[in-house]
Amino acid sequence: MRRSWIPVVILWVAYTVLIVVATAQFTWFPKEWAREAAVVDEAMLLLQYLAAPIMSLVMAVMTWSVIGWRTEGGAHREDGAPVRTNKIVVTTWLIVTSALAIYVVINPGFVGLAEIRGEPSSDYVINLQGQQFSWEVTYPNGATALDELVIPVDARVRYDIISIDVLHSFWVPAFRIKIDALPGITTTAFATAEEEGTFEDDVNLRIQCAELCGAGHANMAMPIRVVSEAEWIEYVEALATDG
Amino acid sequence: MKYLVRAFVLGIVGYAVGVGLTMAIRGGGPTDEVAVVIGYIFALMGWLGGIGGIEAFGRQWVGKSVEVSTARGWRRYFQFSVDHKVIGIQYGVTLLSVLLIGGIAAMIMRVELASPGVGIVDLDDFNKIVSMHGILMVAVAVAGIIGAFGNYIIPIQIGAQDMAFPRLNAIGFWLVPPVAIALLMSPLLGAFNAGWTSYAPLSVTNESGQILFNMAIVTFGMSSILGGINIITTVITMRAPGMTWGRLPIFTWAGLATSVLAFAVTQFFAAAVILITMDRVAGTSFFQPDVGSALLYEHIFWFYSHPAVYIMVLPGFGVILEIVTTFSRKPLFAYKAVVASLFAIVGLSVVVWAHHMFTSGMANFLHGPFMIITEAISIPTGVIFLGILGTLWQGRLWFRTPLVIAFGWLFNFTIGGITGIFLADVATDIHLHDTYFVVAHFHYTIVGGSIFALIAAVFYWFPKITGRMYNEKAGSIFGVWLTVFFNLTFIPLFWAGMNGMNRRIGDYPDAFEGANKFASVSALILGASFLLFVGNLLYSALWGPKVGPNPWNARTLEWLIPSPPPEHNFTSQPVVIGSPYAYGVKGSVHAYFPDANEGDDPGDGSAQNQETVLA
Repeated sequence: MRRSWIPVVILWVAYTVLIVVATAQFTWFPKEWAREAAVVDEAMLLLQYLAAPIMSLVMAVMTWSVIGWRTEGGAHREDGAPVRTNKIVVTTWLIVTSALAIYVVINPGFVGLAEIRGEPSSDYVINLQGQQFSWEVTYPNGATALDELVIPVDARVRYDIISIDVLHSFWVPAFRIKIDALPGITTTAFATAEEEGTFEDDVNLRIQCAELCGAGHANMAMPIRVVSEAEWIEYVEALATDG
Repeated sequence: MKYLVRAFVLGIVGYAVGVGLTMAIRGGGPTDEVAVVIGYIFALMGWLGGIGGIEAFGRQWVGKSVEVSTARGWRRYFQFSVDHKVIGIQYGVTLLSVLLIGGIAAMIMRVELASPGVGIVDLDDFNKIVSMHGILMVAVAVAGIIGAFGNYIIPIQIGAQDMAFPRLNAIGFWLVPPVAIALLMSPLLGAFNAGWTSYAPLSVTNESGQILFNMAIVTFGMSSILGGINIITTVITMRAPGMTWGRLPIFTWAGLATSVLAFAVTQFFAAAVILITMDRVAGTSFFQPDVGSALLYEHIFWFYSHPAVYIMVLPGFGVILEIVTTFSRKPLFAYKAVVASLFAIVGLSVVVWAHHMFTSGMANFLHGPFMIITEAISIPTGVIFLGILGTLWQGRLWFRTPLVIAFGWLFNFTIGGITGIFLADVATDIHLHDTYFVVAHFHYTIVGGSIFALIAAVFYWFPKITGRMYNEKAGSIFGVWLTVFFNLTFIPLFWAGMNGMNRRIGDYPDAFEGANKFASVSALILGASFLLFVGNLLYSALWGPKVGPNPWNARTLEWLIPSPPPEHNFTSQPVVIGSPYAYGVKGSVHAYFPDANEGDDPGDGSAQNQETVLA
C-alpha cells in the first residue's frame, strides 16, 4: 500500500511512451497544400505530445485504482489514510500546470498567432463573396467565376471575404485557414499554395462553408485548382475576355 | 391532475386571447410572429396561474391567504408543490425525459450521417434536427444536476428544512414544461434551422419556428435565474448551526458557484434572442449590416454561453468529488484549494467568451488576451483534477455504479480538457473551429463532464430519494457500456474534424464515410444502453430492495436522515461539529441531533438493517 506510487509511476511512464509512439506512427493530418498548413500541423502535433503525459497520469491513477486500491468489505470497510492535503504536492501541481499553460500560450499560442494572423505582404488579392449557397470569386483583373477557384502556386494570396446575406465561413481544409464571411465587414485570410493540384487529387482542396448558413450549407463548397503562375495569369485573362 | 388540466386549459385560452388581441389591434393572421409572441406571453401566464400560481400568489393580491398544495403520494408531482424534494424529482424526471427526446434526435442524425448523400432526412430538416438536439441537450446539461439534485440535496446537506423561497422554487420548475412544449411545437411554424447558437442574421431571416425558440430561451432563462438566486440565498442564510463555510459539503459549494454564475450571466442569452425577436417583429436593425452588426450577436451570445458550459460542468465537479470521497473513504484532497478553484473558474469563465470567435473576423488584437485567459482557466480546472486524483490515491475503493460512472467521467473529461487546449490556441483553432473536432470536444466536456455526472448522481442518490436500491449489476454494466460506446462514437469524429469534415451538415465528402459509419454504429449501441438505464431505475424504484438511511456509509447530512427523507427533512435540528470528510480520523463526527430521542437517531440504530440489504 505504502509503495503504491511505484506501480503508478511505471504505468504513467508506460502510457506516456505508448501514446508518444502511437502519435509518432500515425498520420493525423490531411496533406499540407500550403505553407500555412505546416504551421498549424506542427502546433497540433506539439500539443498532442504535451498532452501525452497528462492523459497518462490520469489513466495511470485510474488503472491502479482498479488493480491496486480496490478493497472488499462494502460500506463498512476500513477508512483510508486521513490525508487532507499536502502542501508540497499542491504547490508542485500548481507550478507545473501554470508553467505548462504559460508555455502553450507562448508556443504554439503566440508563435502560431503571429504566423497565421500576421498581416504579411501578398502577391495577389482575390475577392470572395459568400452567398446562400455559393461562393463568387473576383480575380485581380475583375474576372469572376462561380464554379471553381484557380490560384497560382508559390504566391501568397490575400483573400478579401464578404457576405451578402447571412454568416458564412471561408475554410480551406488543405490550407488549414478559416475566416468568417460577414455581411458588411470585409475579413481577410492569407495562404501560400506550395504544390499544383486539383479537387480531384484531394477533397480538401475546396472552399467549404463552415458556418451554418441555411438549407444548402452542407454543399456550399467550391473546388480549388492550384496551377503555375503563368498558367494562372493566362486563365484569368481568358476569363476576363470570355466574360 | 386537476391543476395540470387547468394549466393546459388556461394556457391554451391565454394563447387564444393573446393572438386574438393582437389580431384585433393590428390585423394580420394568427401565425404572424407578433401574434405568436403576444400569444406565448399570455399562454405562459395562463399556464403558471393554472398550475397553482392563482392559489400560491394570486390569492395574496386580493387580500386572501396563500394556499399551497398539501397533496401526498404521486399526485404532488403534478402540482404546484413547494417541497424542494418534490421539485427536485420534478426537475429530474422532466429533464431525463428531455434527454431521451434529444437522444432520439441524435440517433436520427447519426443514421443520416452513416453514409454520404441525402438519406432519411433532407439537408434543411437535418439542420433543424441538429438545432433541436442542441438546444434540448443544452437545457438538460444546464439544469439537470442543479435542478434535480441542487434542489433535492443542497437544502438537506446544509441542514435546512426547505429552500429560502419555496414558492419561487415551484415557479422556477413550472417554467420548464412550457420551454419543452414551445420547442417541440416549433415545427408547426417551420422549426428553427440556425442551430442552438442561432447566429444572426440567419436567425433573423429563417422560418417562424425561431420565434418559439426565442421565447423558450427567455422562459428557460427566467427559470435559471430564479433557481440561482434561491440556491444562493439558501446556502448563505439557512445553514444549520455549526455548518461553517469550511464544513460545507463540496456538492453544495459547487451548487453555490454554479448558481452565482447562472444568476449573473443568464440574462445575456435572453437579451440576445430578445434583440433577434425585435429585429423580426418590431423592425429594429440590431444585427443588420451597416446599421447594426452581426458580430454583436456573437459577443452577447457567448457572454452567456461560454459561462454556460461551466454552469453545466461545475455541479458535475461537485457530484464527482462527492462520489470519489465516499467510495474511497478518504478526506477530500486539498478541499480548500478545490473550493477556491471552483470560484476561480466562475470568475475566469466570464472573460473568455471570445475564444469562440477566433475565426469570426473580430479585431485581431483581441485574439491574444482571450487566448491567455482561456489557457489560464486550465489551472483551476487542473486543481479540481488534483482533488479527484489525490482523493483516489491509496484510497479504499469500493466499485459501485456511481464510482464506475465517475471513472468514465474522469477519462472523458480529461480528453475534453486536453482537446480544449487545441481550440484555445488560435493557430490550431483556425483550422479546427466549426469542424467535427469541436463537436467531439464539446461532447467530451458536456456529455463527459455534465451528463455522466448527472447519471452518476442519479445512481448515487437513488437509494436516498426512493428508499430502494437500484440493481447493482445492471447499473455497472450500464456504466461500462455507456463509457465504452461514448468513446467509440466520438473518438473517430476528432479524426474526421482534423481531416476536413465540418459540423452541422447532413451530407459530406465520401472520404469521411468510414469514420462516420463507425461513429453511427457506436452511437446506436450507445443509445440502446439507455434502455437498461431507464429499465433499471423504473424497476428498482418500484420493486428494488429497501435500504436504510446510509447504504454507502457516507457522512454528509442527507445520509443521516431516513430514506426517503421525511416531509420536513429533519425531525430534530442537526448541529454540525466537524468536517463531512474526516474519514480515517478516530471519533470524528460531522453532525448530530442533540434533541433526538434514542429511537429517532438513524445514525447507528439502522446499521444492521443496512447490512442485510447490502449483503
